[in-house]
Amino acid sequence: MLGNPQAAADVNKLNRKVRRFEFSWSWFSIPSLLVVWMITATQFPAYILPQVWHVAQEGYEWVVSGDIWPHLQGSFLEIIGGFGLAIVLSLICGFVAGFNKGFREYIVPLNGLFMAIPPIAWAPLMLIVFGIGYTTIILVVLISAVNPMILTIMEGVLQITSQEVRAARVLGAKRWQLFVHVYLPASLPFVTAALRIGFSQAWRALVAAEMIGAAAGVGWMVQVGGEIGNARQVLLGIVMIGGFSYLFERLLFRPIEKKYEVWRLA
Amino acid sequence: MPSESERIGGENLRIDDLWFSYGGKLSIYEGLNLDVRPGEFLGVIGPSGCGKTTLLNLLAGFYEPEEGAVTLRGQPIKPEDPHLGYVFQQPTLFPWLSAIENVEFGLRMQGMGEAERRERAQHYFNLVGLMGFEDYLIVRLSGGMQQRVNLARALAMEPTLLLMDEPFGALDAITRETMNDELLRIWDTLGQTVLFITHDIDEAIYLSDRICVLSRPPGGIFRMLDSELPRPRHGPTTRTGERFWGYKKSLINDIAEVTAQRPTSEEEIALLKRRKKIEESD
Ligand SMILES: Nc1ncnc2c1ncn2[C@@H]1O[C@H](COP(=O)(O)OP(=O)(O)OP(=O)(O)O)[C@@H](O)[C@H]1O
Ligand SMILES: [Mg+2]
Repeated sequence: MLGNPQAAADVNKLNRKVRRFEFSWSWFSIPSLLVVWMITATQFPAYILPQVWHVAQEGYEWVVSGDIWPHLQGSFLEIIGGFGLAIVLSLICGFVAGFNKGFREYIVPLNGLFMAIPPIAWAPLMLIVFGIGYTTIILVVLISAVNPMILTIMEGVLQITSQEVRAARVLGAKRWQLFVHVYLPASLPFVTAALRIGFSQAWRALVAAEMIGAAAGVGWMVQVGGEIGNARQVLLGIVMIGGFSYLFERLLFRPIEKKYEVWRLA
Repeated sequence: MPSESERIGGENLRIDDLWFSYGGKLSIYEGLNLDVRPGEFLGVIGPSGCGKTTLLNLLAGFYEPEEGAVTLRGQPIKPEDPHLGYVFQQPTLFPWLSAIENVEFGLRMQGMGEAERRERAQHYFNLVGLMGFEDYLIVRLSGGMQQRVNLARALAMEPTLLLMDEPFGALDAITRETMNDELLRIWDTLGQTVLFITHDIDEAIYLSDRICVLSRPPGGIFRMLDSELPRPRHGPTTRTGERFWGYKKSLINDIAEVTAQRPTSEEEIALLKRRKKIEESD
């Protein structure tokens, strides 16, 4: 909670400065990848390894024809559903496990067990039970994301020192006030880490599950593109998978992280 | 001259026949009695691990005594008691809040309105000499400044009993002396009952009305020393006076005696056993 305008202004100033003046090697990351791609592509016929602009062209056609929207929408709804459920569930279980030793002892082995099984292994079972569709994929996404998230949030609660809590109690904080004003802000860095880990797990599982049991989605695009030998479609799908992740990073995780990195990293 | 309106005043703290051990194994207190007068500044010293922090945690109600009672103006103390202020040995400021927001924290928990609590917090913020640093984040304050915030945060609740656990232990000698003077000035104005823990003999003498030397556990009070140093105290004069040296000499002797008492902490016992084994095998 960066409640005060002065510190917020300080940070903004700092960030602006960094953005304007500081050279970063990260400027070369994506361009160098594109260059390697383009050079490699000159060695192959376009139907095997298409050029960057062929894929751009492919994307343009998908957008103009409107064919792309069902796939974007499908993947979007699945990630919102699966990851959203994982967030709610992991916040509840993570905090309860942090507070309650019995529940912690109970749930940690389960988390470990589920994390040892690659989430995609559940997909065939889900397909048998629920058939092709949202439910199957949302469940696979949920299973893959929720377990590491619970563990991370639990760690976040456990690392809060009893001294901080005692200080708040002496200052008159009641049970729910302790939760809102101490446990929540103090564990925020871990909650963000959990979101990050959970999302990357969820997104991987989603794409994999779509390749096995879906009728739409970016994973489906890649899968079908491969089956029909359309390398452009495959690469377009891969670019979209990366882009989707990037958007989540920018729109969801960075803003939350900004809130605490000032006091965490200063 | 402190104005009467600023005065908070202190209350009588009593410890009656206090028994306490950690999990029934490590006995810390076996029948401790202590009566702290309202508005008294009581210094508590003792070697490391003798149970000073334990005592404050018992006083604050974080631990239940096994036997006996701790009362403030005749009432048992709970941590949430608004009459209680506690400056902890370890840093406990909330790093996600600004300096002044830390000071406001307790008032906010009480549901005090924003304008009113800002005004009150500002008052104590100025009192500890931090004016101008309101919006600093904790990580950007020096150690001494952080302890000032810590003190202001406890004072803002206007407690009648202030527990301080080696609050300046991590500071350098010069900053510590400055903080000592500021603490005395504030206490002179507000007049709370203060229990001040330290293992610095000079600090204990300079600040206190009475100094309590604790024994090694399981024990209690080794000696109670009444100070007749005049107030207001003044660094250069007080610290170099005859009496100061007299008290210092006697406390140094006390501490030496206490330190020589039989060791009872678990580690020390383990250490002794190991040593004995080594001797036997020789
Ligand atoms: N939570 C705990 N559980 C078990 N033993 C404890 C606990 N806290 C402290 N002790 C033990 O109790 C004894 C007294 O500890 P305490 O922290 O009160 O010492 P102290 O006088 O404050 O020391 P210091 O001057 O180093 O801060 C020590 O031997 C310590 O090992
Ligand atoms: Mg201690």
